[in-house]
Amino acid sequence: MTSLRTEGLTKAFGGVLAVDGATVEIRDGGINGLIGPNGSGKTTFFNLITGMIRPDSGRVSYRGRDITRHSPHRVAQAGIGRTFQLCRIFPRLSVLENMLVAVRRTRLRELLAGLHDRGEVERARHWLRRMGIDHLERAEARDLSYGQQKLLELAAVLMAEPELVLLDEPAGGVNPALIDRLVTLVRDLNAEGHTFLVVEHNMDMVMGMCDHVIVFDRGAPIAEGPPSIVRSDPRVLEAYLGV
Amino acid sequence: MRIASRGLLVLAAVLAAGYPWMVPNYYLVYAGALTVMYAAMATSWNILGGFTGYVSIGHSAFFGLGAYGTGLMVTRWDLPWTAALPASALLVTAFAVLVGIAAVRVRGASFVIVSIALVSMTNLVVQGWRSLTGGSTGLQVPSPFPGLHRGQGHIVFFYLFLALLALALLSWWFIGRSRFGAGLRAIREDEDKAESLGVPTAALKVAAFALSALFVALAGGLYALWFGSLDPIFVFSILTSSYMVLMSLLGGVRHLFGPLLGALIIAPAGEYFLIALGETQIHLTATGVLLVLVVLFMPEGIIARLAGRRAGAPSIPEESAGQRLQGVAR
Repeated sequence: MTSLRTEGLTKAFGGVLAVDGATVEIRDGGINGLIGPNGSGKTTFFNLITGMIRPDSGRVSYRGRDITRHSPHRVAQAGIGRTFQLCRIFPRLSVLENMLVAVRRTRLRELLAGLHDRGEVERARHWLRRMGIDHLERAEARDLSYGQQKLLELAAVLMAEPELVLLDEPAGGVNPALIDRLVTLVRDLNAEGHTFLVVEHNMDMVMGMCDHVIVFDRGAPIAEGPPSIVRSDPRVLEAYLGV
Repeated sequence: MRIASRGLLVLAAVLAAGYPWMVPNYYLVYAGALTVMYAAMATSWNILGGFTGYVSIGHSAFFGLGAYGTGLMVTRWDLPWTAALPASALLVTAFAVLVGIAAVRVRGASFVIVSIALVSMTNLVVQGWRSLTGGSTGLQVPSPFPGLHRGQGHIVFFYLFLALLALALLSWWFIGRSRFGAGLRAIREDEDKAESLGVPTAALKVAAFALSALFVALAGGLYALWFGSLDPIFVFSILTSSYMVLMSLLGGVRHLFGPLLGALIIAPAGEYFLIALGETQIHLTATGVLLVLVVLFMPEGIIARLAGRRAGAPSIPEESAGQRLQGVAR
């Protein structure tokens, strides 16, 4: 089943075409990598999918439903979670509160209910335990180290129970040991049914973790396939090395 | 600790309720009522400002509209004040929803400027619409309690404002422990991030904006009935909003009782300066200086200062970058 599909997605900033007619299809259940040189439009592509910026033209659909130009919270509630390139958390909320903010539905009754609902708190603790930061639940998020903040960000995204998780450079700025742990986590979560789309510059991580890799250059996909094939594709080498 | 703070709360409530009977003269009852009115308005302002971080200097527009709405309904339509007050407050809230939809689209300094424009606009409209409002000659509102003399009126309004304060505090407390409040705090911390987690930020901001306008409008309506005379320049004054901001910041915007504490300090101080120095502009300067000092030296307010910067959180020692990385790898 098709998870996410974009058709001719285009966005220009001034005269620069950041994303240029990108047509991409992500199938349910995989770990998909999105790679490409700096400025090839990967993050803009993410922002277009999640509604953070609006496309000039083109369509985005998720599980057969059109989500083009939906506001970010509606995209999130449709089941797409995302992390940010520079890890974003709520610095002056406690770790537990960071977890409880995520919502999959907005009904008035739920909005007016207490934040520390027992079931929700249990679910939050479950994810914090899996990330190994449950001992910090009462700390303010800004007191965590950068790596811990990245884990918290991912945990909070998972609280909203997304079927598709977009990770924007999960390995950026973290040490090798944590990268290994992230890879294991993503694999486990994938086995539990989460689909992933990962933007990453760390080639070892992408090639080792993903089962499908899409290569972006100048705002559109130029190649895709299993890592072993993409790695030796002449178009990819040209995009990266400029030969 | 919990029992102690609960006891303190009851004691404060009893003291507040007994205040008019403990002071030697009606002037102090008047000053008390004024202080409680400001406390209610600052607490109400803090429903928007404290949770979302959106600093509105436009809330005196809702104060003025609530005052004129109540005044006009009583004088022009001969409505009883008990109907005019809630009716005008609800109208102002509906108006705040419309304004909010436009205003909360912009953040930070832009929002502050939009909120200032709101006061200026409402002020000009009320001043200019002479046939309805009486313009700058003002609007006289008959006293709702003609049988009482002035001093007794102060006592009645002291209790009315106290009830309003209780209502505002209760709302803030309720929001603070709800998912709605968590969404608002998330907006204060990182609005785009909150959106990406499924929080409908625009709707929540408009709701907070309108709710915080509601209690300010009620305060305005009570003020109209209490003072009996409205002047657009005074009720649509940036100064009134600035007081709400200053009181909240001084006491602490992240705390339920922050704005109340700020009001207990600023409002009596303002009255004192008025008596000591007369009707000069010095109290304005003093207000400005105090605002600068608070922002510079106590941005989190008195309560946060007293409670220690991060009460409740386990202390995490400062580590070197290397230790942090090791901690992550563990």
